[in-house]
Parts: sequence; C-alpha cells; structure tokens
Amino acid sequence: MKKLTITLPTGRLREEVVELLSSLLSFPLVLPSRQLVVDDPDLPWRIILSHPKDVATYVEYGAADLGLVGKDILLERENEVYELLDLGIGKCTMVLAGPEGTTRGDLLKQERIRIATKYPHFTRRYLQEKGVNADVVALYGSIELAPAIGIADAIVDLVSTGKTLRENRLYVLEEIAPISTRLVANRVSIKTKTQAIETFVKNLKEVISNEDRS
Amino acid sequence: MELVFGMKDVYPWEAKIRRTIETNLRNLFERWGYLEVEPPTLEYYTTLEKTLNEEMRERVYKFVDRDGKLVCLRPEFTTSVARMYSQDNNLSLPLRVYYSGRVFRYPSSPFRTESEFTQIGLENIGQGGVTNDAEVIALALLALERAGIRNFEVDIGHAGIFRGLLEALPLGTPQKEMARQLIKKRDFVTLEHLCLSAALPSSFSLLFRLPFLRGKKDLLKDLGPLFPQNQEWQRAVEELGQVFDILNDFGLTERLSINIGLVRDFDYYTGIVFEGFSPWVGYPLLAGGRYDELFCVFGRDLPACGFALFLERVLEARQKEEALEEEKETFPVLSFPPQLRKRAFQLAQTLRQEGIALILEEHKENSIHLVTPRGSFTLESLAEDEVRRLLKEGQR
Repeated sequence: MKKLTITLPTGRLREEVVELLSSLLSFPLVLPSRQLVVDDPDLPWRIILSHPKDVATYVEYGAADLGLVGKDILLERENEVYELLDLGIGKCTMVLAGPEGTTRGDLLKQERIRIATKYPHFTRRYLQEKGVNADVVALYGSIELAPAIGIADAIVDLVSTGKTLRENRLYVLEEIAPISTRLVANRVSIKTKTQAIETFVKNLKEVISNEDRS
Repeated sequence: MELVFGMKDVYPWEAKIRRTIETNLRNLFERWGYLEVEPPTLEYYTTLEKTLNEEMRERVYKFVDRDGKLVCLRPEFTTSVARMYSQDNNLSLPLRVYYSGRVFRYPSSPFRTESEFTQIGLENIGQGGVTNDAEVIALALLALERAGIRNFEVDIGHAGIFRGLLEALPLGTPQKEMARQLIKKRDFVTLEHLCLSAALPSSFSLLFRLPFLRGKKDLLKDLGPLFPQNQEWQRAVEELGQVFDILNDFGLTERLSINIGLVRDFDYYTGIVFEGFSPWVGYPLLAGGRYDELFCVFGRDLPACGFALFLERVLEARQKEEALEEEKETFPVLSFPPQLRKRAFQLAQTLRQEGIALILEEHKENSIHLVTPRGSFTLESLAEDEVRRLLKEGQR
C-alpha cells in the first residue's frame, strides 16, 4: 500500500499543525525548513507543504490524499473535498465589521454599500443570501484599514482576539461563521485508501480529545 | 487570437485517442444491444429546469432565441434522452440507447475554467429491477476497461441510503434539509455538530462513518438491522446485495465495491448509484445510477438506469498511467538534401505503399538523416533495403 500524501499549510498554522502530527507520531516531526515535498522513509506519510490557500486545491485535484486547511478557505473556494474532522486549532470567527456608530441593520439597509474582504466569493454569496444591495471590493491585506481610508463601508474578515478591529475602531456587526482548521480528503482517495484514511482520522481524533482534556 | 473562455482545442494526437476510445465504446455498447441516439445541442430551459438542481441550473449556458424563449446548451444527455422518449408513445420497450457528444457547463466555481466536456454514456429505459442495474454497471466496468484504463475501480451505493437516513432522523424539516445539504457538500464536520446538538440515538453515529463504509458484500450484514422499520433503507441494503450477487455471477466484482457513503450530485437518482475512478485522478471518470422518477416530470412513468463517462477525465487517467506516452505516435522522419528530392519521394512512396509511415523533410545540408523511435541514423545513400530495415526495427 502506498503511503498517504498529506498537505500541510505553511505560515501561521505550520507550528500548531506540526505539533499535532508529532503527538500522532509520538515523536517530534521535524520538517526541513526549505523543502516543500518531504518523502522520508521514517515517516508514515509523504508530506507536501503549501500556501494555506492552496491546501484544499491540492487535495481536490488529487495531488494529496489529505490536507489540513482553514474553514475560511473552504468557504471561499468551495472545494469539492470531504471535510472529515475539526482539528480545534486556528480558531477564529468570520465576521461582518463596521465603524463606530453603525449597526448591522442600518448598514445593510443602505441603498448602496461597499464591503472590503479577502474572501470576495464567500462575501458575495453571503450578501446575496441576505438580499443586500452591496458591492464587494477584493483586497489582499490590511482589510481593517478599508473603512478608514474610504474604500469600503464595512469589512468581512477573520477575527480571533478582536485586537486589530479595536485598534482600527471597528466593531463586530455579525458573527457569520465559526472558523477552525479542518482535515479534508480527496473524494477518490477516500475510496481507494479508505482504511488508511479511516485509521488516520480515528488516531487524530484521539489525539485531539486527549489534548482537549489535558 | 483568443479562445472563448473555458473552451479548448483538440490537436491530432489527442483527437485520435479520443476517436479510438469512442469507437471501442460504441462497439461495446452495440454488442450489448444498445442503439445510438443524437439529442440536439440546444434545449429549452423549461425542459431542463425540471430535472436539474439549483447549482446545475446556474451552470447552464443560456440565451434567448428569436422567439424570445430561453434556450440552453445541453449540460448533460440524460434529461434530453428522457424528453425524446417521453414524446413518443409508440415505443417498443425496453429501450437501450447510447450517446456520445459534448456537453456545456459554466465552471463550478470562479476558480475553475473548464466549460466543455465530452460525455459517452447509455440509458436502459423501461425496465426496473436489479438485473438491469447489474447490466448497466457491468457495462460501466467494461467501458472503463475498453477505454484503456488499466487501474480502475467502480463503487456502488444507493440513493435510498440517504433518503432512508434523512427520513429516520428525528429532526425538524429545516434541520433535515440542512443535513441533506451537508451530506451533498460532504461536510461531515458540520453534520456532526448538527447531530450532536440534537442528541441523536446512537444508531445515527453511522452518519459520520459513512465515508468509510466501503467493502464487498459482507459489509451489508450489519446494516440491514440498523433501521428495520425504514423501507427506503431496507430496499437500499437489499438491492445493493442483489446487484452485487449478479455482478459476482458475471465475474465482475474484482474491481467493484459497495460504498454506503457514495453521494451523487444530481438529485434525480432513485435507486442504485455508482462511480468509476482511477487512483491517479482526483475526481470520478464515470458516474450513473437509477432514476425511476425522471420520466414522470415529462408525463411518462418509465423506470430507467444509465451512466455517462467523462472522456477528458479518462484521458487524464490514461496520461497518468503513462499509456499515452506509449501510444503517442512518433513518426519516423527522413531528412535529405534537395538534390535527392526525386529519389527520396520515390523511396517514401514505395515504403508508404507497404504500410510504413514516413515523414519527408528537405534540408540544406548535404547529409541524409533518418530519425526513428529507436534512434537517429546518418545514411550514406538512400538505399531502399537499408531504410526499410531501420524503419522496421524502429517499429518493434
């Protein structure tokens, strides 16, 4: 049986993910810092490191069997993958936030509003569902600046502690969706490697519930 | 020159493989008594609207014809075939038909581009029952083999599994609808959250194991007693077992599995559903199932079962299997100086008449070169026997 291929996100989540997999292995997982594909005979899996936004795409196209990916990315990309497990890390909330003095009702009632976000596809769907007459401005960074510099009336973005929002005098108007890191699987891999994936999920589940208890 | 967004050109080497696969499948289907049909490229939107789910409706190419009616490029064949045979009241049933052609769908998300696909498939109309399910699944297995896939598998599931489970769930209608959407999206995390908050009986823990419930016939042993009162569930488990037994008698279960968690995107399936795939490609190569209620929307009550193979995905699988590499024809090339043009042409014609393929290329150098799959050779002269020998060696 061929090893499972797992895609892990680089960046902010990398450390937590590596820690989780180390608990699963019962020895510290050490990933070479510059290598993006790790095929170590001592490891039970082949590991691909990718940009967090690309993890689910790798899995969807079958380049990897499994992936660890933020729910925010899954909501934005709507990748056709199996979502199997909530890993309980990378927790935050997708919110609608606006400047001081606005309320959600007032904002969404306005004839034409503009909302800045890193998640244009998701935001468009959200606004469509609410029947709101709004334009979406897709930005790549510093979303929280958008209202202050006059690009947008409100933002849709991730919030963990709320510190960045407060610093920019923005207030949560609606909590749209809870976000955390998820384990996803390719829809063919789950059929051709059913047992390996089931075992992986079961063991990972145990690790997560042990960590919750401790 | 721009290509229309989502469209692709097919070049000769790929066109040839496409044609070969299509011919192989035609021959297969016709030997099983299936006849070809050619539904039109355009259908009225009102025709398709009846059978497509919301997502598919959005993905259809639509435009207004000169009478002001909304017209679509066909996004699949099954609905068109059902429409064709709903209009004809003098049918001699059962009816076995196949089709081959392009279908059009806008990409499923803004991050994708493919919009034109080739489907080769068949429909078995007018007969219910597991023997017909088995015939169609047998043809699906044989189709993948004849399409040149070496390493493929087919999973069978049943629409009644989810219908039964949803019916049995002690939840309110809006929550049930949510559960249905979550299963379709394969989001088992949110599904688990939903079920935990509803404090469901333990038999429903099965819901979260669905993606892993895959195996041969013995998988069904423990499933029947789970929901003894649920007719949909009982029918699903029973039919899966019967179909598997028939295919076992056909000697076709080596690449076949029962997969309780199999989800299909089209809502019109009512019974057995199945998918064929290659371990090297991340999405199914072929999909189908039984859709006994589809004809009802066109005013006929005819059971039917069928599948479609996605040719582009089959090609991808073959490419991954490196089969393409072997089949991509590299023709031998003979290059020669202008003064040998007459001799070279004569020689090439003689060899071509013998069935040997050869490309001629005049060049400015004084030398003669012959490039075959076996290697590159420099020749002293255009001696017929020598060239023939090198070409024949190259063929081997």
